[in-house]
Amino acid sequence: MATTSVSKKRMVRINGCVASAQAAKYADVDVIAAYPIRPYTATMMALAQMVANGELDAEYIVADSEHSQLSIAHGAASAGARVFTGSSGVGVQFAYELYSPISGSRMPVQMMIADRTLDPPGDFGSEHTDALSTRDMGWIMGWSCDAQEAFDNHLIAYRIGEDPRVLLPQMVCQDGFFVSHITGDVELPDAGQVKEFLPPYKHPYPLDPRHPVSHGPQIMPEQGPPLQLERARAMEESMAVIEQAHEEFEKIFGRKYDPWLEEFMTDDAEVVFFLQGAHAVTARFAIKHMRDKGLKVGMVRLRTIRPYPTDRVNEVLSKFKVVGVIETNMGLGSVSSGGSLYAEVCAALYESQKRPLILSFMAGMGGEAIVLKEFYWMTQKMVDAQKRGKIEKRTHWVGFEE
Amino acid sequence: MSTKGTRIPDWLTVPFAGITPAPSQEKGQDLFPTGNWRSIRPVYRDKLPPCNNACGTNEKIQGYLDLVKRGKYLDAYALIKEDMPFPSVTGRVCYHPCEQACNRGQYDEAISIRAVERFLGDLGQALTHDVVKAGKPNGKKVAVVGSGPAGHSAAYQLARLGYKVTILEKSPKAGGLNRGGIPDWVLPQDVLDREIERLVELGITIKTNCEVGKDVSWDELKKNYDACVLAVGLTEPNSVRAEGENKAGVLYGLPFLRDIGMGTSKVKLGPRVAVIGGGNTAIDCAREALRQGAVEVTMITVEANPKEMPAVPEDLHDMVEEGVDLMHGRAVTAVLGNGKVEALQLHPARFSGAINASPITVDKDAPAQRFAVDNVIIAVGQHASLAWLPAEFKNERGTIKIDRFGRLGDTKFFAAGDIVQLGSGQPLMVVNAVGDGKRVAFNLDKVLRGEALQPRTIPIDVIVDLNRMNMTYFPHFPRVQQTLLPPVSRRRTQDEVIQALTEEQAVEEASRCFSCGTCNACDNCYLVCPEPCIARPERSNGLYKILVDYCKGCRVCIEECPTGCLEGVPELDFDTGVVRMDTAFAISPGLHGRQAEELRKLGDRPAKNI
Repeated sequence: MATTSVSKKRMVRINGCVASAQAAKYADVDVIAAYPIRPYTATMMALAQMVANGELDAEYIVADSEHSQLSIAHGAASAGARVFTGSSGVGVQFAYELYSPISGSRMPVQMMIADRTLDPPGDFGSEHTDALSTRDMGWIMGWSCDAQEAFDNHLIAYRIGEDPRVLLPQMVCQDGFFVSHITGDVELPDAGQVKEFLPPYKHPYPLDPRHPVSHGPQIMPEQGPPLQLERARAMEESMAVIEQAHEEFEKIFGRKYDPWLEEFMTDDAEVVFFLQGAHAVTARFAIKHMRDKGLKVGMVRLRTIRPYPTDRVNEVLSKFKVVGVIETNMGLGSVSSGGSLYAEVCAALYESQKRPLILSFMAGMGGEAIVLKEFYWMTQKMVDAQKRGKIEKRTHWVGFEE
Repeated sequence: MSTKGTRIPDWLTVPFAGITPAPSQEKGQDLFPTGNWRSIRPVYRDKLPPCNNACGTNEKIQGYLDLVKRGKYLDAYALIKEDMPFPSVTGRVCYHPCEQACNRGQYDEAISIRAVERFLGDLGQALTHDVVKAGKPNGKKVAVVGSGPAGHSAAYQLARLGYKVTILEKSPKAGGLNRGGIPDWVLPQDVLDREIERLVELGITIKTNCEVGKDVSWDELKKNYDACVLAVGLTEPNSVRAEGENKAGVLYGLPFLRDIGMGTSKVKLGPRVAVIGGGNTAIDCAREALRQGAVEVTMITVEANPKEMPAVPEDLHDMVEEGVDLMHGRAVTAVLGNGKVEALQLHPARFSGAINASPITVDKDAPAQRFAVDNVIIAVGQHASLAWLPAEFKNERGTIKIDRFGRLGDTKFFAAGDIVQLGSGQPLMVVNAVGDGKRVAFNLDKVLRGEALQPRTIPIDVIVDLNRMNMTYFPHFPRVQQTLLPPVSRRRTQDEVIQALTEEQAVEEASRCFSCGTCNACDNCYLVCPEPCIARPERSNGLYKILVDYCKGCRVCIEECPTGCLEGVPELDFDTGVVRMDTAFAISPGLHGRQAEELRKLGDRPAKNI
C-alpha cells in the first residue's frame, strides 16, 4: 500500500462517491471490479485515479457488464482477495444472479450502492428499490445518510463481513445524489487507526493450485438444506459481530453509531418517522422546526436492514403512538400496496403489547427531494391519526393528496 | 434466532459452504454422485477405419499412421508386420485400395498411405534383426508351394505360429510374382532379396528349382508334411486367340517381365512395339519395353478410353508421361508377317457386358486396320497350370476348388492367392494375395490344432460418414507428394521411378490422418469434460474410462471427440454399472437413500392377487 497520502488524520470536503472510494483505499482493497452506471460511477472514477497515481496498489478490472463485474468479484474473493465493487439502479438488477452464489459460497465481497430509480423510463434520481430488491440474498445491508457515515460504513462492513464467524458479502448503500453527489466534511483517519480496526482478509479455503479445493460443486437435494441453515446461522450470528464492530469503531475512531437504529428527538415523542438514508438529514431539520411549534415528533432511522433488528425495532417503536414509514422504495402490490418497508415494521411490532398506529408514506420517489412542507404534512397525518385513534388509510402518496 | 437449537445430523454434515476437496483429488467427488442425472452414457466404441477395411490384408493402417505421427517408427513397423510380411514391397507396388477408401479423400486429398508404408518398410530393411520372431516350435511341418505374395505371407504367418515351414519354388530364385511380375524400376531386386532373407531368418527353408508335379508329387506333399498351402499363382499367359499369334516376335506380358526379373531374358526388342491389354501388367510391359530399347510403344486396348482401363490412374499417367501412345477400342484379329511379326490386324471392338469382365464383341464387318510393329507383347491376363492337381479339386474356372476357409475338401491342403481368387470377384493384386495367405495360415493352424473353423460373425462398423466425426478439428492440408524421376531420364534406366518420403514428410503425411472412428488418445475428452468424469492412467487407446457415478451425460465429450469413437448410448441399454435414481441416492445414507431402501423392500414383496 502506498501510504503517503493516507498516513495522517485530516478533514476533507468530499461527496459520498469519493468518500466510498477513499474508504476502499484505506481498506487497501486488492481487486476492484468496475462497470459504469450513474451515479455510483464517480466512485470508480476516483479509484481509477488512485490506482493510476500509485496511491492504491490494486487490480482494477473493467468488466463488460454488472454480471461480469460481480462474477469477477466472486472469483477474486474466492482466490483470497479483498474485493470492492459497486453499482446503481438497473445495474444492481443485472447482476442479480450472482448475489446468492456469493453469499452462499460465503465470500465477503463488498459492494457500494449509490441508489438510482429503476426504469421506466430512465430516471437518475435516488430510490432504494434497486438494492432493497436483493435484501434476502444473504448480504449484510444498510444505508448511510451522509458522506462521513458512508466512509465509516465501508470500513465497518469489511470488518463484519470478513469476520471468520460471519464471512458474508455486504452492500453498503447510500442515496444517489443526496449522498453520492453532495459534498460534506469527512474526517479521513490515520492509517494506523484503520490498520488496528481492520485486520487483513483471510478466507479459510481460498482457491490455490497448491492446495486444491472445489468451490460450489453440485450437491444432492438433501445436502442443500444444511447449507442454507448454515448461511442463515451466519446471518444471525453476525448481529453480535455487528455490535462489537461498532463498539470497536467508536473506540478507535471516536465516532459513535448505534448499529441498528438512530433515534432523533424521540425522548418524549409521540409520533415518529421511520426511514432509511439521506432524507433523515431533512427530517432532522423539519423535526426541529415542528418541535418549536410544540409537536412531539421524532425520527427513528434504520441503519442496518439485513440482518433486520426485529427485537430492537419492536422495543423502540413500541414507545410511540404513531409510526410513519417513509418508504423511498416501491413495493407494488405489497402488504401496504406502497413500499416494502411497511411490512418489515409491522412484522416487528406484531408481538408488541403496545402496538403503535402505522402509516406508510410514499415519499422521495424517483429521486424527488422530500421538502419541509411535506414533512409537516406527514406529521399532520400522524397527529390526526393519533387524535382519531385509528388510521385513515395505510398508505399516502405524498404530494398527491390534500 | 431461527437457527437457535438447530442441529445438522452427522450424515448430512457438509463441509464449510460446500467447499470440498477438488474433484481431481482423492475422494474429491464422493459427496456428490450426480451420475443418476444421465440419460445418455458416453462409450468408447472404436469403429473400423475405411483404410483398414479396404486393405486386402487389413493392415492396421490408422494404427501405424498414428504411431508414425508420434515418432514411434519401430512400433509402427511392428504393427504393420502383424499383417504384412513385406511392407517395403507393398510400399512400392501396392495398388493401395486403402487410399481409394480413405475418408480424407472426401475432404481434400487421401492420405499417401503407401508412401508411409514404404517409409516403414525401408526402416525394417535397415534393421540388423527384424522385430518379428518365429513362434515357439510346435513340431509340425508345413509345405508352402510358391513363394509369391500369397506363399510368402502364408509361410511368414505359419513360422510366427511355430511351424517348420518349407517353401517349394519352381524358379531358380524365390519371390514369385514379386520378382517375376514387377519391374525393377518399381521394386528393386535387392529390396525383395532382403525380404526373402527375412523368411530364412525366421527358420523357413526355401527349396528353389522345385516344381510340384515334377520334382515333388502330390502324394509326397501329403506324406511328408502335416499340411500344405498351395500358392502357385497364375503362371500361364492368356492368348488373344488371333490368327498367327505363334509368330516370332510375339511375346507375353508376364513371361516377358519374369525373364527380365530373373535375369534370363534373351529378348531384343525392335523399335516399334505394341502392347495388347489395358491392365496394370500391360502398363508395366509398355514401360519396360521403353527401357528395353523400344522407340515407339503403343498400347492397344479394347476399352474405349483411359477411364475404363482396369489400371491404377497414376501408373497410367506416368506411362503416358514416359511417351507411350494409347489406342482404344481395338482388338487384334490377326498377327501378320512372314514368319516374324511385321504388323497387327486390328478391328473395332468393345466389351459385350461390364467392362473387362465379359466377352469381347469384335466388329469384323468394319474395315481392318493394319498397324506395323516389330514386336507385340500380349498382356491380357493369366491362367493356372494345374496338371498335377487331382481332378476333384479343380473347378470350372480352371482354378483350385476350396471351401470358404481356403481348404481343399476335408484335406490338410489349403490354397491361397491368385490361384483361388481369379474370377472370384476379387481384384488380383499383391495385397489381396497377402491377405489370403494370412487368413489361410490362421485357418490351417486351427485345423491342425483341432479347432472348428467358424466364419466371422462380429458386425463391422466401417466409418465412412464424415458427420460421425468432428471435422472442426481437421484443417485442410494438401497431400505430401512423392518425387518422381523426370520422364526423360526414366526411359533408359532401371532406377526406381518413385522416390521415398523423407522422415519429415512421412510424419507430415501421417499427421493428416483423421484416425477415423478410432481413439488415438488425443486427450480431448479428458480435457473438455466440464467435471473430471473421465479418468485415464496414461494417454492410450483403451485406458480412458468414464466415471459413471459422476458423468451426467452432458455429451460434451461425445460432440468434441474428433474421431467419432465416443458414442452416446441410451442409459436404458445398460444393465451393469447403472446409477439410476434409487441406487444413486443410496450412495449417501440420506433421506432419499432411506426412501430407496423402502422402495427396494416393496420390490421384494409378492404381487397382490387381484
